[in-house]
Amino acid sequence: MTTPDRGAAPLVLVEDLEVHFPVRKGLFGRTTDVVKAVDGVSFALERGRTLALVGESGSGKSTTGYAVMGMERPTGGRVVIDGVDRATMSEAQVREATRRMQIVFQDPASALDPRMRVGDCIAEPLRIHGIGTRASRRERVAELLELVGLPPGAATRLPREFSGGQRQRVVIARALALEPEVIVCDEAVSALDVSIQSQILNLLLALQERLSLAYLFISHDLSVVRHIADDVCVMQHGRIVEAGPVDTVFVAPAHAYTRALIEAVPRLERATRAP
Amino acid sequence: MSAAREPVLDVRNLRVRIGEADVVDGVDLSIAPGETLALVGESGCGKSLTALALIGLLPEAARRIDGEIRLSGERIDALPERVMNRIRGGRIGMIFQEPVASLDPLMSVGGQIAEALALEGPITPREARERAIAMLDHVGITKPELRVDQYPFELSGGMCQRVMIAMAMIRRPLLLVADEPTTALDVTIQAQILRLMADLRAETGAAVLLITHDMGVVAETAERIAVMYAGRVVETGRVADVFAAPRHPYTALLMRTIPRLEGARKVALPAIAGSVPDVASWPVGCRFAPRCPLATDRCRAEAPPLAPVGAPSQRAACWHTDRVSEIAA
Repeated sequence: MTTPDRGAAPLVLVEDLEVHFPVRKGLFGRTTDVVKAVDGVSFALERGRTLALVGESGSGKSTTGYAVMGMERPTGGRVVIDGVDRATMSEAQVREATRRMQIVFQDPASALDPRMRVGDCIAEPLRIHGIGTRASRRERVAELLELVGLPPGAATRLPREFSGGQRQRVVIARALALEPEVIVCDEAVSALDVSIQSQILNLLLALQERLSLAYLFISHDLSVVRHIADDVCVMQHGRIVEAGPVDTVFVAPAHAYTRALIEAVPRLERATRAP
Repeated sequence: MSAAREPVLDVRNLRVRIGEADVVDGVDLSIAPGETLALVGESGCGKSLTALALIGLLPEAARRIDGEIRLSGERIDALPERVMNRIRGGRIGMIFQEPVASLDPLMSVGGQIAEALALEGPITPREARERAIAMLDHVGITKPELRVDQYPFELSGGMCQRVMIAMAMIRRPLLLVADEPTTALDVTIQAQILRLMADLRAETGAAVLLITHDMGVVAETAERIAVMYAGRVVETGRVADVFAAPRHPYTALLMRTIPRLEGARKVALPAIAGSVPDVASWPVGCRFAPRCPLATDRCRAEAPPLAPVGAPSQRAACWHTDRVSEIAA
C-alpha cells in the first residue's frame, strides 16, 4: 500500500480506545454491568520503534493489543493504521493491514499445529495470501529460518522436535513471512527460561535493526520492558497512568503506581546487603 | 553454619529416576533453622522433583532410588505413607505455584484450614473456626470472619496464596517447602507475599526451601543458594558470595543474561548458547559443557565434583573455576 503521505502518519495510532464488555446476568440476559477492559487509551507507534504496554493482570494491555490487531472490536475510540481507521477499512484494506501486522503470543506450543512440518507452518501465511510459487516459498522459508537462527534442516521437522525457545523462533519466522511492519508481542518471552529469554530478546532486537520493525511489546516484566522498549505506557484498570520514553519513566516515574511497580521488582543488587 | 546447630533438613545423595534416567542425580542439601535456601534452575533441571522427593510426593513415573533425608536429625526417607502424611502439614508445610489449583474448590477456606488442624489431633469445630479466623487475620486477609466461609473461587490469586500460607504455617512447621510460590502472581502481590513469608519465618524460626527460577526473588529472600543444572547442583553458597563472584560458568552466565532495571538498554544480552539438554541426551562429563565457553576435553569426559572454591561458604562443580571470572566480568 503506497500512499502519497506514507511516513507522515504514525504506523499505529490509537485514540481514546475503549473496549467494554457487557456482563449479562439473569434469565433474560440483561446487561447488569460493564467491564471496562480498556477505557480511554491513546498512543502512537512509529516505524522501527518499540512501544511497551506494561501492567499487571487485568490492566487491559492484552485487550489493547488485540484491538490494534483487529481481533477485538472497540466500543469507542479509533485504531488508525497508517492513516486509515480500522472501522472504515474496505475488505482489501483489512487484508493489507493483516499482512502488515502480526502477533506473537506467549505460548509457542499452542501457536503451532503439531502435525504440520515447521517449513509448512512458516509458509502457511504466504499460501493463504497466494504469494509465490511452491519453489519460491521454499526458498523464502530457508531465508526466514536463517533470519531467526534455525538450521535449514528444521523445515522438514515437526514442532515437537524443538525446545520452547526454538519453537518461539519458528513462530517469529512465520510472523515475518509476509514482511510485516508491526509485530505485537503479547508476553512473547514470558514463558521462556531465562537463558532462552535473552536469546529471543537478542533476536527481536537484531530483527528490528535489520528490518526496521515496530514492536508493540506487551509485558508484565518491567526489566524486560526497560531493556527492549523505546517508549512505555504503564497501564492500570484499563487506563494509561503514565507514558513516556523508557529513560524518563524508569528513572523518574511520576505516577505513584509506576513507582510501586518499579519498587516491587526483586533486585539482584539487594543480595549484597549484610546477612 | 555452626556445628552446634543441627540442620532442620539434611539431604545426602538424593537420586530420582524416571525410566532409565536419573533426573535428580546425587543432590546434597542442608538448611539450618530459620534459614532460607533457594533451589534455583531452569525448567527440567530437577529442582521441583527434588522438593517433591523430600516430602514423599513424587509423581507416579518417578522413583527415589537413593538418598538419605533427615528432618531435625530423624530419617524420614523410609517412613510408611501414613506417618509421612502426618509429617506433611505438620512438621513440614508446603506451598505451591498455583494457589487456586492447590486449594480444594469445593471446601470453604475455613474448612481447609480446619482440616490441616485436625491432623494435629481432635479439635472442636468452634475452636478450629476461631483458629482459622485468627490465622487468616495473621496472614493479612481483611475481614477474616467473612472470608473463612468463602470458597477459593471467591478470592483473588494473591488471597488464595495467603490462604495456602495460612494452612502451611498454622501448625508452625520446622520446614516450609515453597515451590515457585509467587511465580503466578503480579509483581506487586509477589512483593507482599514475599514479605509475609519473611515475617512468618522470622516469627516461627522455620527453615525454608524456596524453589524458584527468579534470581531477583533469591536476592530478596534467601541466605543461601543451590543452583541446579540437568539434575545436579552445580554451585552452592551464601547468596551474597555466589552473586558477588560466581564460580560456576552457568551461574556466571545466568547472572549476566538477565535484563536488569539498571545498566545498558537495547543491546544484545550476553546469551547462553543452545538450550537445556533433554534428559535423554544428557552428556557424559559436565552436563553444561556443550553450552560452556570454557569447556575442554576434560569437561566432556569427566564430571567435576562439587568442591570448595572462592568464599568459605561456596562450592562449585567445575574444572575451570579459576577462569570463571573471565565470564563474570
